[in-house]
Amino acid sequence: MFQALFYKEWVKTRRIIILIGAIFAGIIIYSFINTGQTFRIGGSVQAWADIILKDAPVFPSIIQWLPLLTALLLAFAQFVPEMTNKRLKLSLHLPMPETKIISTMLCYGLVILVIIYLITYIILITGLSFYYPQEIRILAFWKSLPWFIAGLTGYLLATWICLEPVWSQRIYNAFISICILALFFIRAQSGAYLPLLYVLAIIVIIGFGLPFYSATRFKEGKQ
Amino acid sequence: MNTVILCDNITHYYGDKLIYENLSFDVKQGKILGLLGKNGTGKTTIINILNGYLKPRSGECYMFDEDMEHISPATKARIGLLLEGHIQHTYFNVRQIERFYSRFYPNWKNEAYYELLKKLQVTETQPISTMSCGQRSQVALGLLFAQDPDLLILDDFSMGLDPGYRRLFIEYLKEYATAENKTIFLTSHIIQDMEMLIDDCMILDYGRLLLHEPTHYILDNFRRFRFKSDVLEILSADGLWNSEKIGSSWETYSFLSDEEVKKILSQYQISDLKVEKLSLEDAFIGLTGKY
Repeated sequence: MFQALFYKEWVKTRRIIILIGAIFAGIIIYSFINTGQTFRIGGSVQAWADIILKDAPVFPSIIQWLPLLTALLLAFAQFVPEMTNKRLKLSLHLPMPETKIISTMLCYGLVILVIIYLITYIILITGLSFYYPQEIRILAFWKSLPWFIAGLTGYLLATWICLEPVWSQRIYNAFISICILALFFIRAQSGAYLPLLYVLAIIVIIGFGLPFYSATRFKEGKQ
Repeated sequence: MNTVILCDNITHYYGDKLIYENLSFDVKQGKILGLLGKNGTGKTTIINILNGYLKPRSGECYMFDEDMEHISPATKARIGLLLEGHIQHTYFNVRQIERFYSRFYPNWKNEAYYELLKKLQVTETQPISTMSCGQRSQVALGLLFAQDPDLLILDDFSMGLDPGYRRLFIEYLKEYATAENKTIFLTSHIIQDMEMLIDDCMILDYGRLLLHEPTHYILDNFRRFRFKSDVLEILSADGLWNSEKIGSSWETYSFLSDEEVKKILSQYQISDLKVEKLSLEDAFIGLTGKY
């Protein structure tokens, strides 16, 4: 049954997943071209010094928004069709506990995102090893980690909004979501998020419960 | 006979608008019950309540003795649900949707699905999103038959279907229900189709249940009385339904015998009384009124 639900989600989202893959592939290529260019123009000493002394970004700045934007794309691709004509009723009518049905759908999205993020990360970090020492790569890892956690959180919040049956409540949920997501994008020195990472992790865990609240409201027939 | 569906004192409002007050009914195993009513009388609402997709203001519903809010997966597997407009997962194609549902139901009969689809001019790889409403209705019906449920709940199954598809749908349903002692609870706007299908008829009016009787009882006993009279008003009386003046004639409807109706109408100096047997659609109009 879990396989069948994963199959349904895959059929629904495969085109978007390919698109997301293409977007990340593009940004990886762009990152390497950008880094190569920096090294060619300024030389490696200058590039390293900028990162260590001036806290210059290792990745192109657009990367910070990509995990969130792609997570939103995936969430909408998964859950807008469920809410169109209230098809979620069909899904909830399947002979499985409703919490398992929603959990499986959420886990599918999270697993897909984590796989895409991990592949991107591994390629980026491996590729950057040709240019930067381990210290700088570790610094880049910690600096970009909140953006990827923001992607997972954004996915859960977008699902919370999509499954909500009442439009006015959706707008309210969207406003709360923007406030929560803003926490992940505060301008700060590299490493400033380190003491807060556990808070971000807690937000993800709490975020997992929010779509269930919307699903319960849907089940009660809120209008 | 076992009770498959039981609704007990359901009261529901949308905002301040009363939909029903203390609505109670049951559906016995092996019966085909048609729920009829004008737009906005709450036909889809009761289906949503039954399946736990709407919490009523008060009252309880049970399907196979399970409370509507806590229907177990095993019981859900025994219930086939058709949503209004033949809603399905349209991102699947014909083969994918069968493959998807087959994993959930232990008694899945894929031959029932493919046999029905042979009648359609579609390929197995055709996306459901590209199908006509009639073709989608056959996909939905095929999936329900393949699921082989003990109870079918069909919300406005005739919506958007041309006469050919409607007839096909009804013939399959009738065969399914009678051959295998299945229970069907359905709603439809097209009442002429119901006449050949339903055993029991439940008619909803705004805020209340108007009637719940066997279909043959309505067809055998409910009649239209046409007559001439110069009076401007016929007072509502027990047993007369929706008395209405049309031009110089009057018409009224009743379950009463000719003699009883004549006796009630005698005070209005009537003449040319004609008694007419009714189709289910005419009976519906007689019971609920035209407007």
